[in-house]
Amino acid sequence: MKKTFNINLGGIVFHIDEDAYELLDKYLSNLRIHFSKEEGAEEIVHDMELRISELFSERLDDKKQVVTLTDVEEIIAQMGKPEEFADDTTQDNKEYIDDKKGVKRLFRNPDNKVLGGVCSGIAAYFGWDVTVIRILLIILSLPTIGNGTFVMKGIFLVYIIAWIIIPEAKTAAEKLSMKGMKVNVENIGKTVTDGFEKVNDHLQSEKTKSFLQKLGEGIVSIFGFLIKAALVIAAICCTPILFILLVVCFSLLMVAMGTISELPAFFYQSMPVVDWSVINTSPHSTVLMAISGILVVGIPIVGFIHFLMSTFAGWKDMSFAVRMILLILWLIALGVGTFFMINFGMSAIDYSITTNTINY
Amino acid sequence: MRKGMLEYCILLLLHREAAYASDIILKLKEAHLIVVEGTLYPLLTRLKNDNLLSYEWVESTQGPPRKYYSLTPDGELFLQGLEEAWMELANTVNHLKRTQNLLS
Repeated sequence: MKKTFNINLGGIVFHIDEDAYELLDKYLSNLRIHFSKEEGAEEIVHDMELRISELFSERLDDKKQVVTLTDVEEIIAQMGKPEEFADDTTQDNKEYIDDKKGVKRLFRNPDNKVLGGVCSGIAAYFGWDVTVIRILLIILSLPTIGNGTFVMKGIFLVYIIAWIIIPEAKTAAEKLSMKGMKVNVENIGKTVTDGFEKVNDHLQSEKTKSFLQKLGEGIVSIFGFLIKAALVIAAICCTPILFILLVVCFSLLMVAMGTISELPAFFYQSMPVVDWSVINTSPHSTVLMAISGILVVGIPIVGFIHFLMSTFAGWKDMSFAVRMILLILWLIALGVGTFFMINFGMSAIDYSITTNTINY
Repeated sequence: MRKGMLEYCILLLLHREAAYASDIILKLKEAHLIVVEGTLYPLLTRLKNDNLLSYEWVESTQGPPRKYYSLTPDGELFLQGLEEAWMELANTVNHLKRTQNLLS
């Protein structure tokens, strides 16, 4: 028994098996990607849809009412995959070399995996052969070598952690950046077409996932959930601290503003937590210190919030340059802050001593 | 080169009589000019956009309505130009072959 869909292809309704539908859908979107640069792309794809619809009609009659996977496969063979369309091949080759360059990112490879696709992803990242890495891993985890079971456990743990931490390459774009290829229209098209055979295999044999894989996936998803839950709890616990830090940040900002404009004594007085009388040196150093204070407190807050958002709300990760700049800024601010702290600390002691002596 | 050939052949087929895309495919396949049908559709659209071809929708007894392609006057002119170019090319090649044969 199979589930069927109703589709409208070129104005005619067809019953189509679920697996056949998925393949056809992939094929058509692949065509769309292939022709996207061409003038009148929509029309070309529409023409081809009409032709496919025609071919379906020829195959169906009263006895055979449903379009099957074999039908779609044969029709795709007849129509041809985008690479088979006669194009200027020399140009393609040139582009292919350019396509090699792109930003590489570490992903787990879902298309070639024994357990979680960690080895496969690492192999793709470094451009090595998967089998070599797998064999290495097995040899390393053999209990006879090195420190015996300890090493084995370590590798097992590392693998599980890698499985949890490294994201799976789900979209075509992610699969491309896993291999370090440029994410562009042609490459995405290629990936989708390469997926054809994979899709077929997967659909024809339901049991491609081994028991170990299923078990592993279950464990990983549970662990992932637990980690995320822990993060949420941590975030909730951190909220009061965050709030205090924000208040400090705000007051420092106010001090800086106040010193610059020499205006609101009001704000000076309204900050009861900090004994501002300590800061009685030149306004320049006060401003500088306030700024460094803001940076020292603010950058971790921003980082933490950004981390939370990128984990839960799908924000993009910060680029390496941004991270480095923030880190350097923070270090400088920390240095300046400590310097002033020591200075002010000294002057504060002096101050209290003098006031004390006056009091006598 | 091959692509130009295909365009020439399509125009040639349509010169004699207007046809459906499926008919053109059939004839081109018989002549072993194309392997997969997908090659034809972008070509037809390109020729149509260059105003060499035109089409009208024709209802079909079975399946969706089909495009019935025919040459435009521009297409006829273009085909004549191609014809001459082709003859010239063929003459050159034949000439070369003949002289080769004489030599060997």
